[in-house]
Amino acid sequence: MLLRFILRSALVLMFLGAAQLSGAASSDDAATMLRSSVEEVLSIAYSGHANETLATRVRPALEKCFAFDIVTRQAMGPGWRQFSATEQKRVTDLFSELMIRTYSGRVVGTQRPKIVFGSPVATASDRCEIPTRVTTSSSNDPIAVVYRMIKLPAGWRIYDVLIEGVSFVANYRAQFDELIQKGGAGAAIRTLEAKLAQPVPSNS
Amino acid sequence: MNHSIFNVLVLFLWLSVCAVADNHSAAKGIHASDSDLTNVPVPKTNDPWQRLNRTTFRFNDELTTYALRPVAHGYAAIVPVRVRTGLTNFFDNLNYPVRFINSVLQGKITRSAQETGKFVINSTAGVGGLIRVSDHIPSLADVPAEDFGQTLGVWGICPGPYLVIPVLGPSDCRDLVGFGGDYAMNPLNWHTLGIIPHAYIPNAASIALSGTKSVNGLPKSVESYDQLKAEAVDPYVAMRDAYLSYRDAQVKK
Repeated sequence: MLLRFILRSALVLMFLGAAQLSGAASSDDAATMLRSSVEEVLSIAYSGHANETLATRVRPALEKCFAFDIVTRQAMGPGWRQFSATEQKRVTDLFSELMIRTYSGRVVGTQRPKIVFGSPVATASDRCEIPTRVTTSSSNDPIAVVYRMIKLPAGWRIYDVLIEGVSFVANYRAQFDELIQKGGAGAAIRTLEAKLAQPVPSNS
Repeated sequence: MNHSIFNVLVLFLWLSVCAVADNHSAAKGIHASDSDLTNVPVPKTNDPWQRLNRTTFRFNDELTTYALRPVAHGYAAIVPVRVRTGLTNFFDNLNYPVRFINSVLQGKITRSAQETGKFVINSTAGVGGLIRVSDHIPSLADVPAEDFGQTLGVWGICPGPYLVIPVLGPSDCRDLVGFGGDYAMNPLNWHTLGIIPHAYIPNAASIALSGTKSVNGLPKSVESYDQLKAEAVDPYVAMRDAYLSYRDAQVKK
């Protein structure tokens, strides 16, 4: 009886250990993917070409590593469910454009920032967080940037970025909540279109 | 007048009764373990004075556009980046008592020792704090800066309603009190507060130092604000969420 209990416990522990190991390996895949993506994006951003075309040049690299559809869905909140398929597509396109523009706007100066990658922390079987410390030529202190990643059929993708504790998704979510409650998908689309029609501010 | 007295009373009443754990959901963000990504919890923000806050936000925006931005651009054009960085380091070093006292008040003894180490090294090898030599010492390179608002947070006082202060910008009730505490702890203000006898430092020197500190920080502040405005669909909400989330993260560090 006791032997059977020990054997069964050992079997359970073995499975648990294997699951943990596969989780760790999985998170390591996410870290590898993030490193190569960040490297690719930075080499494009700091290639010395004019900043005006940065958004266009960096787009393919960002599309490879960001789950734009999930980011958009989260940023729109529960109101997303009331959007029609066409509206969802339109909002995703516009919001992705805004994200790419936001990223391009953050590339300032000619010196590449130094990035130190921390160990990934698994938050669910298909999700993990990767902390990084970014040192730029313009900042006195290193900036804490955390990447939230999700495992999709196509591989690991970024679904949120936290800069010094400020979540990109939660920040836009707070902005869109009231807007969508009052005016639905139409208000979100109009606001995004108006935002994107504004000229891109020049980087100093 | 009565209204402002009432507001101050409310602030202190709130501080005295609010020594409970902060359950402010706005700062929590969206956690990766949420099973359904389209149904993440709706953030609730403590912003009962939103109408007044939005008015002050608009006032600050106009102030930035018509007064602060031209000064910031002019200053940045005249003063080279290296000089600006040196001055930022100098004023940051001078702010040592704020970080030290608050580290002690929060029971972070190692951090207070690190702050002291930074101050000694930067004041000596760093030529009076102009160069941050401590950045090249791994144990001193990345020490989170403590302030009195964070100390109140660590003591369990919740942030209270969100506030937009004229000229100063975003804050909350806890940080407003914290700002007063930090002001008193900063040696730059000891002359104004009468802690350092006026016979030792002339008024003009004190005003010049405070003025330089404010103007020197302007280019970066204006740049950050412009970036936020360029990215946001509702700059007021974007600023509010960013401020509350940032401060929440700082308290937890």
